[in-house]
Amino acid sequence: MATERYSFSLTTFSPSGKLVQIEYALAAVAAGAPSVGIKASNGVVIATENKHKSILYDEHSVNKVEMITSHIGMVYSGMGPDYRLLVKQARKMAQQYFLVYKEPIPTVQLVQRVAAVMQEYTQSGGVRPFGVSLLICGWDNNRPYLFQCDPSGAYFAWKATAMGKNFINGKTFLEKRYSEDLELDDAVHTAILTLKESFEGQMTADNIEVGICDQTGFKRLDPSNVKDYLANIP
Amino acid sequence: MSILSYNGSAMVAMKGKNCVAIATDKRFGIQAQTISMDFPKVFQMGPHLFIGLPGLATDTQTVMEKLRFRKNLYELKENRHITPTVFASLVSNMLYEKRFGPFFVEPVIAGLDSKTGEPFVCNMDLIGCPNAPEDFVVGGTASAQLYGMCESLWEPDLGPDDLFETISQALINAFDRDAISGWGATVYIIEKDKITTKELKTRMD
Amino acid sequence: MSSVLCPDIPNSGFSFDNCARNATLEGKGFPVPKATKTGTTIAGIIYEDGVILGADTRATEDTTVSDKNCRKIHYLASNMYCCGAGTAADTEMTTNMIASQLELHRLFTNRTVPVCTANQLLKQYLFRYQGYIGAALVLGGVDNTGPHLYSIYPHGSTDKLPYTTMGSGSLAAMAVFESRWKPGLTEEEGKKLVRDAIAAGIFNDLGSGSNVDLCVIRKGSVEYLRTYEEANKKGKRQSSYRYPPGTTAILSTKTANIEVHDVSIQRIDTDLLMDTTS
Repeated sequence: MATERYSFSLTTFSPSGKLVQIEYALAAVAAGAPSVGIKASNGVVIATENKHKSILYDEHSVNKVEMITSHIGMVYSGMGPDYRLLVKQARKMAQQYFLVYKEPIPTVQLVQRVAAVMQEYTQSGGVRPFGVSLLICGWDNNRPYLFQCDPSGAYFAWKATAMGKNFINGKTFLEKRYSEDLELDDAVHTAILTLKESFEGQMTADNIEVGICDQTGFKRLDPSNVKDYLANIP
Repeated sequence: MSILSYNGSAMVAMKGKNCVAIATDKRFGIQAQTISMDFPKVFQMGPHLFIGLPGLATDTQTVMEKLRFRKNLYELKENRHITPTVFASLVSNMLYEKRFGPFFVEPVIAGLDSKTGEPFVCNMDLIGCPNAPEDFVVGGTASAQLYGMCESLWEPDLGPDDLFETISQALINAFDRDAISGWGATVYIIEKDKITTKELKTRMD
Repeated sequence: MSSVLCPDIPNSGFSFDNCARNATLEGKGFPVPKATKTGTTIAGIIYEDGVILGADTRATEDTTVSDKNCRKIHYLASNMYCCGAGTAADTEMTTNMIASQLELHRLFTNRTVPVCTANQLLKQYLFRYQGYIGAALVLGGVDNTGPHLYSIYPHGSTDKLPYTTMGSGSLAAMAVFESRWKPGLTEEEGKKLVRDAIAAGIFNDLGSGSNVDLCVIRKGSVEYLRTYEEANKKGKRQSSYRYPPGTTAILSTKTANIEVHDVSIQRIDTDLLMDTTS
């Protein structure tokens, strides 16, 4: 990377000590489609809006909720193409870990490694930071995990959180709704309600995506499943 | 002659009931000339985890240091002790990385799973093919003799005291028929709440 | 991907650090010792609903039996398994690595991986190493286009066959297949045929022994029959050679007690702000 002549880092400190490129990246995230994650007592849910600009769009062929390994899933707010690179990296790192240790990668370890990649893109030459924040959910050690990874490479463990457009409202909503002994089904319900807070237009099984992770592993819910949850929403 | 029998060694690990044992000789020689009678070949890698590295002595030490490095890094990164199975797979991977220019060691691993307390023994060839049987594993220049001793002495569900006698007698009588191993022996008995290390009195010829 | 900034993913691939030293030792009359071989009988057939793979369970180091019950039918994907003969470490590591690549491929393409993909990955990998990775494989699986069976040689050539055998006992096993295999065998007939082929290897080839493992792969389901048959039952031991405590002379005893403590959990400080630059 550093061999090319003008490949200096684009992320440089401003005189006030800020890395404005990272702030711009966060702005890209905050402008992206909202996503939420909630940890329940027996699992964890991640959900996001997947709205299409035209009725001609073929739904369910491109997904935003992706599986990383059998027990870890991921979703994002921000730029789709950047996300796909991270998904590819995350899957590869998970497989690499398994090959060395013959044990599935703990969620914390995966998050740390993905965050390290994101950090690298704030300090390397010729690259820009990722325009995405990730929500990574997992199940190991007999308990659920929910993490957020930011473009800076910072990561946080959440009980529940929202990202993307209107994330402040989403978080305020979750703060009111969240309780420690939430069951997974209720958590899915709450996640959809949180999305609905800022949802413009009619919410259907075709324009949101939900992923759940419990002791049986991670799975993306079928549109028919999502429909069942939507039926219970006023 | 094989480079694996340049320095001479004998090693064995056995499963018992809620315990495991690993035993090693203490000789370090250069072919027929004995240099030392107190040469460590078995190393502790965790509260309940030991690895023995019979083979070429220089590689015994290099591999031990490389493994300790990787194990420490794992424990710092993951903030937990390494389990025997994960450690075995780490060793196997490190040896296979050198598939076309191997280290001349054939590791023997013994440990208890820190959570379940399940006994674990495993050995490998020099390029890291793991073998984790239900009874015992052997390694070193006296391995043929050890196979014979263990096949007849070992029985399932031995308690720590019986396991000690069994593994000690298997090792001593095996290396007494091997000219380049012996000269003292150390036995480690690994139980959930303690590690007992016993130095054995053996023939010194 | 691994760079100066993020070095925790070690460089992949083989390391040749010790080669110069080992070559010097070889020049001084210390050749590189032999690795564990599986010296094997492995076989596979296509029957009416899918594929049946079979293997013996002996691993040898030269003439010593180093593992009496080793696993030679390796997992590749949920619809694919692979028997390995040759250098034990090579078959183990090669199949593990390809299994990993197949899983990535499955996640990427969102479909059941076809068996021909696994075949292609394996043969390209083995060809790259020009036979120095000593893995002879029998690959079997069922995908959307039906059952498939391949044999893959260490140099990277492959065959697509309705029945095949590999390893040192392949001749004995093939003799059984040549006389009795026919298209459209039922599952019971198929299992019996593969068992007989492996048993022929176990009893007639010195490199093969111990038990028969089978793996039946149908469309949508797999039955891994680990120790399908114990071809050689060990006799019951008549007496015990247990030594009375105190037999072994001890010079010194040292006891180190271990305090059993719980596993610590790493807590990560949560910053409530989403802005991470402050």
